[in-house]
Amino acid sequence: MSQPGASLIDSRFGEQVAVVQDLTISYRAGDRNVVVAQDVSFTLNEGETVGLVGESGSGKSTVARTLLGHLRPGSKIDNGTVTVLGRDMFTLGERELRDMRGRQVAIVPQNAGQSLTPSMRVGGQIQESLKLHGLRHDPARIAEFADLVRLPTPEEIIQRYPHELSGGQQQRIAIAMAIATDPQVMVLDEPTTALDVITQGAVLALIQELRERLNMSILIVSHDLGVVSAIADNVIVLNKGVATERGAARDVLTAPRAAYTKRLLAAAPRLHPAPGEPEPEPIPFDDHAPTLLRCVGVDIRYPRAISLAVRNFQIDIREGETVAIVGESGSGKSTVAHAIAGLLGVEHGEAVITAADHRSQDLRQPVRKRPPVVRRSVQMIFQNADLALNPRRSIGDSVARPLRLFKRTRSRVETKQRVGTLLTEVGLTEQFARRVPGQLSGGQRQRIGIARALAAEPRLLIADEITTALDVSVQADVLRLLDELQERHGLSCLFISHDLAVVKSVAHRIVVMKEGYVVESGPAAAILDDPRHPYTRALLDSVVEPGVERLPSVDIEQRVRRVDASAAMVDVASGHLVRADVGADL
Amino acid sequence: MSLATTVRSASDLGLVTLVGIAMVVITVVLAVLSPVLSPYDPIASNADAALMGSSWAHWLGTDAYGRDVLSRTLYGGRFALVVSVLATTICVALGALIGALAAFYEGWIDGAITRVLDAVLAVPAVLWLLLIVSVFGSGTWVIVVAIAAVYTPAVARVTRGAARPVMRSAYVVAAQSRGEMSLPIIVREVFPNILDTILVEYAMRACWVILLVSTLSFLGFGVNPPNPDWGLMIQENRTALVVAPMGTLSPIIALAVLVVGLNLAADGLGKYLGVDRAMRGVA
Repeated sequence: MSQPGASLIDSRFGEQVAVVQDLTISYRAGDRNVVVAQDVSFTLNEGETVGLVGESGSGKSTVARTLLGHLRPGSKIDNGTVTVLGRDMFTLGERELRDMRGRQVAIVPQNAGQSLTPSMRVGGQIQESLKLHGLRHDPARIAEFADLVRLPTPEEIIQRYPHELSGGQQQRIAIAMAIATDPQVMVLDEPTTALDVITQGAVLALIQELRERLNMSILIVSHDLGVVSAIADNVIVLNKGVATERGAARDVLTAPRAAYTKRLLAAAPRLHPAPGEPEPEPIPFDDHAPTLLRCVGVDIRYPRAISLAVRNFQIDIREGETVAIVGESGSGKSTVAHAIAGLLGVEHGEAVITAADHRSQDLRQPVRKRPPVVRRSVQMIFQNADLALNPRRSIGDSVARPLRLFKRTRSRVETKQRVGTLLTEVGLTEQFARRVPGQLSGGQRQRIGIARALAAEPRLLIADEITTALDVSVQADVLRLLDELQERHGLSCLFISHDLAVVKSVAHRIVVMKEGYVVESGPAAAILDDPRHPYTRALLDSVVEPGVERLPSVDIEQRVRRVDASAAMVDVASGHLVRADVGADL
Repeated sequence: MSLATTVRSASDLGLVTLVGIAMVVITVVLAVLSPVLSPYDPIASNADAALMGSSWAHWLGTDAYGRDVLSRTLYGGRFALVVSVLATTICVALGALIGALAAFYEGWIDGAITRVLDAVLAVPAVLWLLLIVSVFGSGTWVIVVAIAAVYTPAVARVTRGAARPVMRSAYVVAAQSRGEMSLPIIVREVFPNILDTILVEYAMRACWVILLVSTLSFLGFGVNPPNPDWGLMIQENRTALVVAPMGTLSPIIALAVLVVGLNLAADGLGKYLGVDRAMRGVA
């Protein structure tokens, strides 16, 4: 590396506020020296937003946190300097560093829900950072900050505890804490990863607005190319600690030069095709395939809960079809998945599946009361494969369990062979049977999750947010694998996701849920190209995609009205159902 | 496990843990081999050689009845060790089962079990023991069962605490969605993941049991004279502490070595197992 970030000096922005030069960070793991970042250089100018993108393990968070003079215990700087506002962060003493942190450089952490103190009112937490740096901290001032981050009823909301706020509100409080001291540099570490699409859009719009108002410099770290594309001026793509590409966000994310960036972009699921690419054909599906699962008027309630979690749910899944349920957290999409999987009982309504014995079977009972053939017919793949596999059992053991439980194999030898076949089928090798989950990567673990579900020889797979925890490139592979296996085994799939772009690449039909109600359902193309319900439209408007610089409007959350409990579903086109709420286009 | 991996994991344990294990092993080996190692019959009294200091004939001297202190110390741990192994095994097995059941069923079953455990825990262990022993006599089995009963609630509490987060893990939910029965879920999914806690609990509990047995003997409810036992020896010889100190000190030292050894071993084991074994690929 020659000049630090020479290519990034941009006349649009003011003076350099942070310079990272030839930064190399490593830590020792046993006898090995692991390099987290190597010769990373970049400059952050006044009023500029720089995006650090990369997959997990790329070192992007580690690099970003050096702007606060922070290193994980055990890590060390082998080479290079980090200069913020003319001061070398790693030569500062404890005191000077504390003065810099929060005052000059602030950070907004990834999961605000976990970084706010649960036992303290949020106003008090904003006050703390002001007090610490000797700034005005009376209640009126704190309410001003709450207002600045566009929280409704600021005076009232600062009196609440973190658990009384939604995820988006918590993130806004974290942002308020960061900007309260009027810092010149703000580090955003995956600021929207834990948020719903609509909330994400609103938070990004807020960040953009604050940057302009307060003239801050922002370093945003994200694995989401869309997020970075929406708010960064310049980006640096990190791959295993090495900056593989850098430049203006527009150029890098629309016309990448490095092979790695190209691969990342190609793997990112999209709602709209990348510029210059044709619109992909809708996934064809035979309308005359027999129905596998039918739910009509299903009400679901959690044990001992006062109100229903899901009301009047309706779905038809045909053989070989993939139906996706989308919605924000709390919309009831996972509740539906759990009820069909039998983890919850159905209170009212009809739920019938054509089980593996080709007979029509009732699905209203929880799993304990279902006959084995029904249990076997519905198999679930879990969101977080790391947690869904018993860490103390070998992979072979985990995959063999359904084989034995559902008597799919008769002998030990046969079981072993079948496990080998299943592992090969999900793109792994028989050797994996002897390993334990801790030795596998996230993508490999999710493949095991799929193999375990397949072992039961089901008819319906329930995929509950199965790619949320994965990097985009791994996500693409897992989705492709799922599609292949579905085709080969003639499986139907209920695909639960909050990500419309992912859904577009897999689903034949889409069901949109909000507050426990279905608000719109129909063929994927109809929903995505001709959304009729205001909520579906807001969802689609909120999606930020790589190469798109347009941001959703700041008030997008307000546009989403509540669902009318008495509204009926109206068929607007063949099979395209819309809930007749206020604002729905019927 | 091959020899190489055994050696590697031994060095992973750390020096302090190895010292602890060595202390326990030495005490146990000496107690087991006491019939071979003892120079004298531990209960043979000799009025001519009462309360003697250390000599070549009696390395640790003799007690008020002229019995050889070394021989009595070697034999003295046997009762405590046997009771400890039996009682600890029973109470850990029982406690782990009750704790796992409480964690598994949650709701009112958990509530009922926990309240009963709390009630038992509220009374000091020694009081329970004295009560049981006064009613049923001080036979070995009575003491074993009594100690097991007294310590089961504590083990159950610890197990319940360790099992609760595991119960909510996605792999348990996965098992439930397969329609697994309760017992396979507890045995297959929950136990392997709380085994580390249970093992450490076993070592800690064994050490408490040994102290409790010695306390009982000291109070006159455990081993009957003239049989040798550390607690009893301390009680018998403490009046002669100034004249023949080794009569009191040697059982104390033996007891301390065993208890400290068990503590160090349990502590080290806890640290060793606490680091996620799964990460190192130990299934």
